[in-house]
Amino acid sequence: MISAGNDIVALKAVDLQRTGLPAFYSKFITKAEFALHEHSALPFTTFVWLLWSIKESAYKYFKQLDIGLMFSPSKIIVEQLTLSDQKQSNNLQCDLPIETCFTGVVIQNDTSIYFRSVINADFAATTIDSGKVYWGIKSIAKSDYKTQSDAVRLLALKALGDIVTSDDLWIDKHPAGGYPILMHGHHVVDIPLSFAHHGNFISYSFQIP
Amino acid sequence: MNRQEILSELKKVLTPYTENKEMLDGINEETDLIKDLKINSANLVDIIIDAESQYNIEIDFDAAEKMYNVGNCIDVIAEKINKTA
Repeated sequence: MISAGNDIVALKAVDLQRTGLPAFYSKFITKAEFALHEHSALPFTTFVWLLWSIKESAYKYFKQLDIGLMFSPSKIIVEQLTLSDQKQSNNLQCDLPIETCFTGVVIQNDTSIYFRSVINADFAATTIDSGKVYWGIKSIAKSDYKTQSDAVRLLALKALGDIVTSDDLWIDKHPAGGYPILMHGHHVVDIPLSFAHHGNFISYSFQIP
Repeated sequence: MNRQEILSELKKVLTPYTENKEMLDGINEETDLIKDLKINSANLVDIIIDAESQYNIEIDFDAAEKMYNVGNCIDVIAEKINKTA
């Protein structure tokens, strides 16, 4: 089975002062993961939220494979974090400047998967990079939940429309898992999707079988 | 503190993180923090830290993962309060 998982954190919508407190970051970053910060060349608070976005992306990916899975970020371990020169890729739709790109490996319950992350001063975004993955990032004018939710669906459907030749695609929510599913009429399309939004940023990721 | 009192305090903890204030007024033990209250997952750690401060308790990694709905939050908080009493 294939899956999809992504996340985005709006860095200006978080409390950076609180982020730097051990009481905060030690809730989900393990001691072994701290060693990754030194080589990341990132401000510590950005590093913290980058790791959060990686862990959340991995959780979303594994959740689609195991609906009963609970989010336990301290048990999702970022094993490898490598600076990458490849800031753009053919499968990333993003018209915002990207300052830094990382690739790496994240592990949950002995299962490891690859991820790709992009960062600028405003956001840290990650997608699980397993198989033929397409993802997109966009800024939006309003940050309320409905605007975010509508905008990310629209953006994903537009990207899917370039790949899947059908004019009857729509997005539903998995009744038990709560994650997005692509529909064609009354049928589920076998293209796993993942959505993320925070503050004035939205992001989708999907994997083509 | 009984469960109703914990719930009442929990509403104050959750207030800054949800725009769905109407739903917050009517929360019950089944209310899901993310699906129902539309709380962004990036605020989950904030909620845990605020709950620790509000109830003067410490919530560890393993307990925090259960706090996905209001009933579970109350379970975790009640257990921690009883341990410190």
